[in-house]
Amino acid sequence: MGCIKTGLDLKPKLLVIGNGMVGHHFIEQLCDQGMNEQFEVEVFGCEKLPAYDRVQLSKYFETGSPDALMLASVDEYAKRGIRLHLGKEIVRLDTENRTVYSSDDEIWSYDKLVLATGSYPFVPPIQGKDRPQCLVYRTIDDLEQISRAALSANSGVVIGGGLLGLEAANALLTLGLDTHVVEFAPQLMPVQLNDKAGELLCEKIQALGVSVHTSRATTAIVAGEHARHRMMFNDNTFLETDLIVFSAGIRPQDTLARQNCIEVGERGGIAVDDHSLTSAPDVYAIGECALWEQRIFGLVAPGYQMARVALSHIAAGVSGSAATQFKGADMSTKLKLLGVDVASIGESRGFENAQYVEVSDNQSGTYKKLWLDETGQYLKGAVLVGDASDYSLLLNQYLSGEKIETPAISLLQQDSDAPMAFNDDAIICSCHQVTKADIVERVVAGDHSLAAIKDCTKAASGCGGCGALVQEIISQTMEAQGLETQKGICSHFEHDRQALFHLCQVDNISNFTSLIGKHGTVDAAKRGLGCDICKPLAASIFSSLENEYVLAVEHANLQDSNDAYLGNLQKDGSYSVVPRIAGGEITPDKLIALGEIAKRHDLYTKITGGQRIDLFGAALSELPTIWQALIEQGFETGHAYGKSLRTVKSCVGSTWCRYGVQDSVGMAIELENRYKGLRAPHKIKFAVSGCTRECAEAQSKDIGVIATDKGWNLYVGGNGGMRPRHGDLFATDLSTSVLMQYIDRILIFYTRTASRLQRTSVWLESLEGGLDYLKSVIIDDNLGLAAELEIQMQKVISTYQCEWKTSLESPEFLTRFSEFVNPVQEPNADVEQYRYSRGQRFPVDAKGGAGTISVKNIDLCTVDNDLDGLATRVSSAELFEVSAQKECEV
Amino acid sequence: MNWLAICEESALPVFGGIAAWVEGKAVAIFNLGEQGIFAMDNTDPATGVGVLSRGLICDLQGDIFVASPLHKQHYSLTNGQCIEDESLSVELYRIKCEQGKVLINTAIVGGINDE
Ligand SMILES: Cc1cc2nc3c(=O)[nH]c(=O)nc-3n(C[C@H](O)[C@H](O)[C@H](O)COP(=O)(O)OP(=O)(O)OC[C@H]3O[C@@H](n4cnc5c(N)ncnc54)[C@H](O)[C@@H]3O)c2cc1C
Ligand code: SF4
Repeated sequence: MGCIKTGLDLKPKLLVIGNGMVGHHFIEQLCDQGMNEQFEVEVFGCEKLPAYDRVQLSKYFETGSPDALMLASVDEYAKRGIRLHLGKEIVRLDTENRTVYSSDDEIWSYDKLVLATGSYPFVPPIQGKDRPQCLVYRTIDDLEQISRAALSANSGVVIGGGLLGLEAANALLTLGLDTHVVEFAPQLMPVQLNDKAGELLCEKIQALGVSVHTSRATTAIVAGEHARHRMMFNDNTFLETDLIVFSAGIRPQDTLARQNCIEVGERGGIAVDDHSLTSAPDVYAIGECALWEQRIFGLVAPGYQMARVALSHIAAGVSGSAATQFKGADMSTKLKLLGVDVASIGESRGFENAQYVEVSDNQSGTYKKLWLDETGQYLKGAVLVGDASDYSLLLNQYLSGEKIETPAISLLQQDSDAPMAFNDDAIICSCHQVTKADIVERVVAGDHSLAAIKDCTKAASGCGGCGALVQEIISQTMEAQGLETQKGICSHFEHDRQALFHLCQVDNISNFTSLIGKHGTVDAAKRGLGCDICKPLAASIFSSLENEYVLAVEHANLQDSNDAYLGNLQKDGSYSVVPRIAGGEITPDKLIALGEIAKRHDLYTKITGGQRIDLFGAALSELPTIWQALIEQGFETGHAYGKSLRTVKSCVGSTWCRYGVQDSVGMAIELENRYKGLRAPHKIKFAVSGCTRECAEAQSKDIGVIATDKGWNLYVGGNGGMRPRHGDLFATDLSTSVLMQYIDRILIFYTRTASRLQRTSVWLESLEGGLDYLKSVIIDDNLGLAAELEIQMQKVISTYQCEWKTSLESPEFLTRFSEFVNPVQEPNADVEQYRYSRGQRFPVDAKGGAGTISVKNIDLCTVDNDLDGLATRVSSAELFEVSAQKECEV
Repeated sequence: MNWLAICEESALPVFGGIAAWVEGKAVAIFNLGEQGIFAMDNTDPATGVGVLSRGLICDLQGDIFVASPLHKQHYSLTNGQCIEDESLSVELYRIKCEQGKVLINTAIVGGINDE
């Protein structure tokens, strides 16, 4: 049909049936291309909720609410001029007259129709399958039913030991049920894994408390004696249980197509061509309901590809642009099932005449098998259980179709960062599909730093996992050109912060000796000493990952001036003491206690910009006594010395203020307590305002939260100081739980990917794709990282400790605060060191101060007054990242 | 030769620094295990403040340095010279361990440490 028509009601009609993940993706792409202007678009969904993230479905059990999973809302659709009909099932399609009918007899006509009806769980025709509490695992509604049923159940059985069945089993386990999996095949995950891998997985899962029953077909479900149901098996055994979840596979939802003789596959699925077009004119099918070359793709990524392909075909009809084609998709997968790493690539179950390499290690509980073609030269498939760290390399090898030059077993024994194993067209960055050749080309063209390569190729700007690899490729290419390679963070490491973070994470490195030994340059590794750049950086990474006590023996000598003594070093060599005053709220009693302690130790007292109180002039050896007194009064460390969360500033909010719409102080306290102690590439500041008047200046903070009458607006990447920046509005009207979920993800993503001493403002600007990209990672979980990010944050939160409390409890740590080995030899104190003014003590001006540092030889010096109260050596590339702050807590 | 016993060897933190009073002067001692033990004036010449014992040890340009915790200038543990500012240097002392005791020689050396 010619589609270019003008006039509102003359717009052609585009109907989308199904508002699942793929249907929603179609709408998003449509709007991104502005095509919502050219069509009158209506969307129909059976479910009562708009599109949500089905891939993460099981997360529903974490919060008991679908909030965090939602992808769409009726309002958002309406804003883009799209009508979304929820709870509306389309029951009839008439391709002759180009109309569809809903179950309540409404009729719509279409010019273009997109079927995105997904699939439905297959329930085998077993006698008793319709008994109450026999459920499936596909929609939020299903999960609500399972939660409810679990309340009155002690045991649960999942029928089906495939991918989804194991996920369902995990859910039953977390609901506290005695959990069983019944599988018809002799092993778990029969589709992806071979027998040995299935066996190992089975052992691992049984170790977690799930009973696995393989080679059992359920013949009937009848009333039980000790539990609600009794399941009868083909071998005349039985199992009693209160709750049954069927997970015996899915079937494409192709009913509408069948009614109209639209071509479907023998075993179901709406047949489509390379444009996702069905056999009926102007009717497309995308996602799990579609059958392409006799294949159904039960993963979301191929569904998204189909959505884009269908859209490009529709767009081509409008504008004459070229339509893209669907070319199939790889079904390799890597996941964590009940905490066990499992990956399958290509023909993971093997095939006739295949050669193979098998490594089975029962000590570490890992199993790996590679399937090679008859000649043994080409990788055709692989399966990994227990350790999937080789996945990327193997997938590359598989997808490239290149000949394996070395004995195939070497593929399993590769150094994780040995890039020579990659061919030119191997995909190094899978987030952005950047090949080795792309990187090499840019390096040859003169981009020699990781930052530059990230900029121009996007490599390593996604999840960052490939950072170390990209750096290696840069170094190697430069060496091949005879160039001296660009140094990494300092002369001891050729990696940037992100790469080091990744290395520590994947290799489980938690002390500097191993880090420099394994990844330092040859010379650096020999001496093992490192420097004032790499040591504090390593310490910060270790704390972000493990959150151990920062002065533990293996970390103490790595810490920068402030962290090293849990105080902020001042110009006269004394320290300042900053207890936490979360949200700036303090009781009169605590205020008095603070005053008394300050008075007792003659500490200069000042209120900081972060709404807390800074006590100056404590000698190193006085710190333990002062902190002992503070802790006795109920204070804890404020981490003013760390590159970590500083303060969450707040206005008084709705509890007192006439204008306030939410309790900003309560929220500030909650946030501060949640994130206190998180070590990051740089310090982090928050603020919370109780209404749009923004008295807390939240938009100038790394994380700003402003109350609305519906919830909270979240701003990211604000900054005060030398390089002020307003935070970007990240999301609006969030519930408290979603707000925290987003902040969890953002902060961990930041700690993983930012450069050394890079504040969130600069980090955000440096992200390829900026704010939209960050949203896609955090909100849409495009990198599939969200769960991992949250888990890591949870770990940091649950391992929080007041470092001063730990220090005071452990005499061996306290020796650190004795400045002299022989204090009794101390000569009489130099009384001239201090003077009094305005009723308080100040240091007598010594020589020095940040203004008088002379700079020579070493790159550059700049002042970050808040950092350590000092100048820090930075490379020129980093200069712009370091800023002096006005609200400093020096 | 004025070798003064300062403290037990075991009182020194390994791979870190600590200060000691030696004839009324503060001296920074760095115990780098197999890579040696070093002593220098504790005063940071750039600021006149006694903090060097609290600095981080750095391996740079083939030599070992301590970074002042105040403004991060680097002073060589083997010749006292500052990298960033040629006009700055720190006085070094001879130091050694004998029979579990740490001994410092109060006679200033311009350069090389003898251990
Ligand atoms: C627990 C679980 C875990 C998963 N994990 C992964 C994973 O790790 N990785 C991965 O890639 N994939 C995973 N998947 C698969 C992934 O969720 C699907 O591939 C994806 O959701 C398919 O999207 P879709 O839009 O085609 O179908 P669906 O999401 O099923 O959406 C179809 C929608 O259309 C509606 N509908 C159907 N018929 C009609 C009608 N006649 N009228 C109106 N509305 C209709 C349905 O109610 C449904 O809401 C998982 C699935 C589940 C259930
Ligand atoms: S931001 Fe709003 S709630 Fe907070 S103090 Fe200002 S006016 Fe009151």
